This record gives sequence, structure tokens and C-alpha cells, in this order.
Amino acid sequence: MTLEKHGENRFVVPIGPQHPALKEPGHFEFVVDGEIVTGASVRLGYVHRGIEKGAEDRTWTQNLYLMERICGICSHIHATAFVQGVEKLAGVEAPPRARAIREIFAELERIHSHMLWLGVAAHEGGFDALFMYSWRDREVVMDMLEMLSGNRVHYSANLIGGVKYDLTPDMMDKIREGLNYLEERLAHYLDVVNNDETFIGRTRGIGTMTREQAQLLGAVGPTARASNFAYDVRVDAPYAAYAEFPVEMVVAQEGDLHARFVVRILETMESIRVLRRIFENMPESELVTRVPRRIPAGETISRVEAPRGELFYFIASGGGEKPERVKVRTPSLCNWGTVITLAVGHKLADMPMILAGIDPCFSCNDRLVMVKRNRQDPQVWTWADLRNYGIEYYR
Amino acid sequence: MSIGSMIEDLIKSLFKKPVTRQYPFERQPAPERFRGKLHWDPEKCTGCQLCVKDCPANAIELIVIDKVNKRFVMRYHQDRCIYCSQCVVSCRFKCLELSDEEWEQAVTNKKPLEVYYGKDEDIRFLMERAAAQPVESPCE
Amino acid sequence: MNLTIHPLIVLLFFPGGLFLLASGLVFQWADRKLVARFQNRVGPRFLQPLADVLKLLAKEEIIPEGAHRGLFVALPIIALAAALTAALYVPMFGVQPFFSFQGDLIVTIYLLSALTISLGLAGANSVDRFSLVGATRTLTQLFSYEAPFLLAVIGPALAAQSWQISKINAYAGETTWFIVAQPIGFLVALVGLMGKLELPPFDAPEAETEIVAGALTEYSGRGFALFRLSKDIELVIGLTLVAAFYLGGIANPLDFVLKTGGLLLVMALLQTAFARLRIDQTVGLWWRVGALMGLVQILAILAGIYIRQWWL
Ligand code: SF4
Ligand code: SF4
Repeated sequence: MTLEKHGENRFVVPIGPQHPALKEPGHFEFVVDGEIVTGASVRLGYVHRGIEKGAEDRTWTQNLYLMERICGICSHIHATAFVQGVEKLAGVEAPPRARAIREIFAELERIHSHMLWLGVAAHEGGFDALFMYSWRDREVVMDMLEMLSGNRVHYSANLIGGVKYDLTPDMMDKIREGLNYLEERLAHYLDVVNNDETFIGRTRGIGTMTREQAQLLGAVGPTARASNFAYDVRVDAPYAAYAEFPVEMVVAQEGDLHARFVVRILETMESIRVLRRIFENMPESELVTRVPRRIPAGETISRVEAPRGELFYFIASGGGEKPERVKVRTPSLCNWGTVITLAVGHKLADMPMILAGIDPCFSCNDRLVMVKRNRQDPQVWTWADLRNYGIEYYR
Repeated sequence: MSIGSMIEDLIKSLFKKPVTRQYPFERQPAPERFRGKLHWDPEKCTGCQLCVKDCPANAIELIVIDKVNKRFVMRYHQDRCIYCSQCVVSCRFKCLELSDEEWEQAVTNKKPLEVYYGKDEDIRFLMERAAAQPVESPCE
Repeated sequence: MNLTIHPLIVLLFFPGGLFLLASGLVFQWADRKLVARFQNRVGPRFLQPLADVLKLLAKEEIIPEGAHRGLFVALPIIALAAALTAALYVPMFGVQPFFSFQGDLIVTIYLLSALTISLGLAGANSVDRFSLVGATRTLTQLFSYEAPFLLAVIGPALAAQSWQISKINAYAGETTWFIVAQPIGFLVALVGLMGKLELPPFDAPEAETEIVAGALTEYSGRGFALFRLSKDIELVIGLTLVAAFYLGGIANPLDFVLKTGGLLLVMALLQTAFARLRIDQTVGLWWRVGALMGLVQILAILAGIYIRQWWL
């Protein structure tokens, strides 16, 4: 991304790759004048794991688990995106109950992700009480997910052609009970976010992004929706069971940090609502359809709405047991541009919150991005080009 | 608009027990579907190798001693296993199972993490064969 | 109490020196524990602060390149010395202060400020970007809360017509608690104390998510331990001062424990209840609200004294 060399006599505050505000490695440089930020840049690439290349080496089934490990917070949604792409290539569709269960996992995951973010963002603003409480209540969702799948983080619920785990009526009751509690707590947090004077002082009017900016910078997910940019894959291109059990899109007008808090909390409440609806009309069917081990040759894209925004997979099959190419574009990657644009003009003290405002995930966006500055820039890079680029970059 | 909207929660908490679970002193059972250590039942296995092929972490090997008489030994590398339960799903004969009881698996050396499953005499046979012709361990 | 203890014992063990250090650690523990309980957590064990200090003392101290070595080593000592000296004029643990003269209130307050200034200097000295920003913020904050805090402690002093802490303490014990007569002053003093100690929500100078540890970013080992100890002692002194002035004086050890404990409870609650204020918000708050409230309080007291004199 935009990485300019700063002049010698400017005061640059580096944040990262190791810094208390970042739980994952990333590097930000803020040029400050007193407390005011006059320039910002981001540098990623500290946790490149070569997952896309690794995928070419594994069978379709094995890749399911590899994709799940791209992100530790939205693990299920990565596997879902992958599995749906593969199913599309194979020309099968998962049974209705399996699709409903995928949606259940996805929405529970969204609740846990948004609550995690609420805590982190509050912590960045020094509001540790909200942090501790939202994380305490997040345990309720974690317990639900653990009950459903046996694991707290990598649920591994997906299979190619369906899901592994069924929901018993007993479990649904337990989840409903937990959801009631969560809804009550979330309403309270919404109240705190909306009314607490000190908190509003740190969020209202900070990092305001207009709808035009959001569109120009390619923002996705709640970050974009907080700027009144109504775009949600769940609504615009329903997958899994979102056609049968639709969600309402949550948008806000203001575009500032406060709006991002409100949008995420309301989205969580919307997830709770849709979960209840699914439990009422759970479709009956088997859980898996048979999918051949060799996936027919072809190319496809698969899009889903991860908690952080639109997640995009490109999958190419050569007709074998392994994919030929898997390309992942994660939502955080789209949102970085907004951070460095919005940072300028704000106080240094606001940087952690603006950063946290997009709910950044570092390890999921470490892949090569080419920004074409001129028309003449080549579309394809050779090994020598890449090498030169690397040498220049780290010089 | 209000100042200190969370004060009520805070004061209430002062009179409540902390929610923190003091883990080594307070244990809770794992949930029923917990995915812990893998177990293999040699009686039902047909030696189809599907589990081995699907395992994303290459954590299991099926060593064939006698294919006709269905004598197999399974070598399970617990340190590689990611507890995804793909093998359990792949096996059509329900030979595999992930334990929901064995979940405190931290050890100080790697030896106990290489587990052999199978009939006793098969394992013994395998061990003797290994002792007769020492193989290079891949770790060194 | 009128015990005659050898001055050396006073300085080294009780109530100065070791005992003071220990009580600083106890207060730090109590503060952390209370904050944890307010947040529904367990909090540290009793010996944790001591363990932290011992660990830090055992560690190597790294002096960053470019920092003035003498200053880097001396500043933590000056800070601790200032804190320990200030304790001598305050009725610690309910015993009479051991040194007392007309005007010791001013000296105590300046000693406490000396502590903050050495913190700021330490940050400015250690050529680190985070330290520099932290030091700037520490000093900015110093200039914003100092005046209101001073106004707030002057209130009881005016009413008692003395600049001597022990006299004010005794006077406060005789009349109705000053918290009733001067509630605004009490509020300003308590919140001012939190600003002085850089406790949340006034912890912008050491906001970990922005500037790591602020002025102390480059400090490790001994220097860091000493700074932390002096902060803990500052906490004890501050609580004692506010309790002595506003909560009806401190006459005996039980008084001390109850009153400072109660204050600490309130302070821990205030620490957790708010989001961190940006430094510009802190300054604005103090000058627009704090100083004004302090002034109003002083004017009210002066008017009260004037009216009483006129009446009699
Ligand atoms: S649980 Fe997963 S990683 Fe472990 S052995 Fe089975 S397939 Fe392999
Ligand atoms: S899949 Fe089942 S039957 Fe086949 S080799 Fe594995 S354990 Fe044996």
C-alpha cells in the first residue's frame, strides 16, 4: 500500500509490528505534528504463511481445514466460502438442513466476533470495564459453539457437500436461553455506547467516512455499512440458507466510529433474531450429499459475508483431486485504505480506535497485492520482477 | 446522555463471585462433542486407508502387517493432529473416535505423542521388526 | 500520640522507609484487586506487587543509547526520595507527622509535583518517541490538574486558618467533616488525585494502546521498580491527605485504614467506569470545569469566613 519515504525532520510514531495496541503484527507509521497526525502508512506482510500455495498441494477435503485456519475468529466462514465454491464446481447442492446449520454456525460466529471486537475496541479507547464485560458475555456464545461442535475456535463443522454436526432440540433450547441473555446484555451495551459521555467523547465525529469515500476506497462490511453504503452479501446474493431465512441489513448514516459501534451491535442483535427464526422452522433432511473426490474442471468464485465484510474466494479446478488455484481476498484487506485515509487530521490518541474501528485481522490478509500505478505496469510478474520488488521493499 | 453508564454493573459485580474459572483447581468436564485424542478400533477396520488419505495433517498411518487377515497397526502422531474429526467422518466402518475425556494433553517431551493402536501381538510384532532393522527417524 | 522514636528508626522503618514501601505495595494490591472485582475478575494475589518489584529489581537495567546516563539513573531515585520525604509531613497511619512546621502543606504538594516532573524528565531524557510523547503528556497533565488540586486542598487550610498539615488534620477532626461543608472541593481533590497518579481515565500519559508505557517506555529493571514504588507511595500519601482534610481527620490507625480504604474503593470505581480521556479532553476538563469549581469553592469559603467574622 502507499508507503512513502518520510522526510528526515518529521516526527514519525511507529506502531507495530510489536505494540500493545496490536494483537497481531502489522506496521503503521504516523507522521505527527504535536498530537495531530499528518500522514499515515501501513505495511503488512509479517505473517505470510503461503496458504494459497499450500492449497494447491492438498486434496479438496484437506483444504477445507487449511482454509479454516486462515483466520482464528471467522474460521467457519472461510470454510463455508471454500466449500460452497467446491460444491458449485461439482454441481451439487448441500441439503437444506445442512445449509441451515451452516447459517447457524455463521451467525453464532458473527455474534462472537462482534462481541470480541466490541471488547477490543473499547480497550483501545481505555474503557476496560466494557472490554471485560463484553468478553465475559462472549463466553456464552463460545460455550454454545463448543456444545455444537466440540471446539471453541475451529469448529470444523463443514464437509464438502454438507455439515458434520446436527442440532438436537435440546441444544436449540439451550442456545435460545443463551440468546435471551445475550440480547439483554447487548441492549445494555448499546445503551452504554449511545449514552456514556466519556465514550461518546472518544467516538462521535472521529474517523468520519462519507459514503463516497467508502465507495472509492472499496470498504466492505460493517465499516462500509456504517457509512450508509448498503452492501451485504447475505442480502444481495444470498448463500447457505439466507434465502429462506433472510437477515435485515443494518446501515447507519454518520460514518464515524460511533456508527461502527452501533452497526455492529445492531447486527449482532439481528443475528440473534434470525437464529430464533431458524430454530422455529428447522428444515428436515439428511446432512450430507455425496460429492465425488475429483471435482470437475472449471473456475468459480464464491462470496460470503464474513463478520468483517465480504469474503471472496476464487477456485480453479483442473479436474483432479486437488485444486489448481485458490485465491482468497479477505475483508480486512479492503478496509486498510480507509484507515490510512481517515487517520490524517486526527489526534494520535485516536489512532488505536480508528485502527480497531475496521475490526482489522492481520494474518488473514497477508498475500500479495499489486497496485497498478500506471497503465504500462505489467499484469504478470516474473520471478525476477518479484525478487526485485522484494529487495526494493525491504531496503 | 449520562456519565458512567456502567456503574451499576460495576457495583453489582463487587458483591458477586468473579466469573473467572480457576482452571487447574476447578475442572469442568469437556462437552460431549469435544474432539480430543483419537482412538482406533482394530476389529472393524478393513484397511481401506480412506482416513489416512483425508487427514489434513498427515497424522495417521496405517501399517499393514497382513492384508488378507486384516492385521493392521495404526500409528497416530498426536502432535500433528489438529483434531478436526475428518478421519472419523471418512471412516465408513466407524472404527475411529475422538475422545471427549482425554483433553489435557500437554507433555514435556514428544515420545508419548506417537501412539500405536492395534492388537497387542501385532504391535509387538511391529516393534520387534523395527528393532531388528533400525530406521532413521525423520526428526534427526 | 506522643511517642518519642529515634529519628533514624522513623526514617528507615516506621513510619518512613520500609513500612511506607510495604504500605505502598499493599495499596497497589488493594487498588488492583478492587478494580478486578468491579470488572467481575479475580485480580492479583496479595504478594503479586511485591513479586513484581522483586522481579524488576533483579533484572538488568538497560540504559538506552543517547540518553544522559547520570540523569537516567538519578531520576528514579529523586522520584522515590521525593515521595518518601513527602510522607514525613503527613499523618501516616494515624500517627502524628514526624516533622511539622508552618507551611509544610505547600512543601508536601511540591514534593509530589517533583515526582511527576522527574517522571516527565525521565521520558524526555530517554530519546524514545513514545517516551517523548508520554513526557509531553505527563507535563501537560501536570499543568492542568495542579491548580485545581491545589485550590481543593487550600479549602480546608483556609477554613482551619493554617498551612500546617497536622493543625488542619486536628481541626478537621473537631468540626463537621469538610466533605459536608465543601463537597465540591472534595470532588476536585479526589479526581485531581487520580489525575496526579495518572490513573484511568486520566491515563493518557501512559496509554498503553497508543504510546506503550509513555515516559517510562525505556525504563526496565531497577529504575522502573523505583518509579513504580514512588507512584504507590504517592497513592498512599494522596489518599491520606484527602482523608485527613475532607473526611474528618485521621486520629488513629483504625481511622486511617477505614478512611483511606473507603476512598480507595471510590477511586477504584471511578477508574473503571470511564473511557480514557484524550489529553486535550483532560486539559479542557480541568481548566474549564475543575479550576472553576475549585475557585467557586474557595470564594464560598472566603465569603463564609468573612461573614462569620462580621457576625461575631
Ligand atoms: S482428527 Fe483430523 S488431524 Fe487428527 S487424525 Fe483425524 S483427520 Fe487427522
Ligand atoms: S477409514 Fe476406517 S476402515 Fe478405512 S483404514 Fe481408516 S480406520 Fe480402517
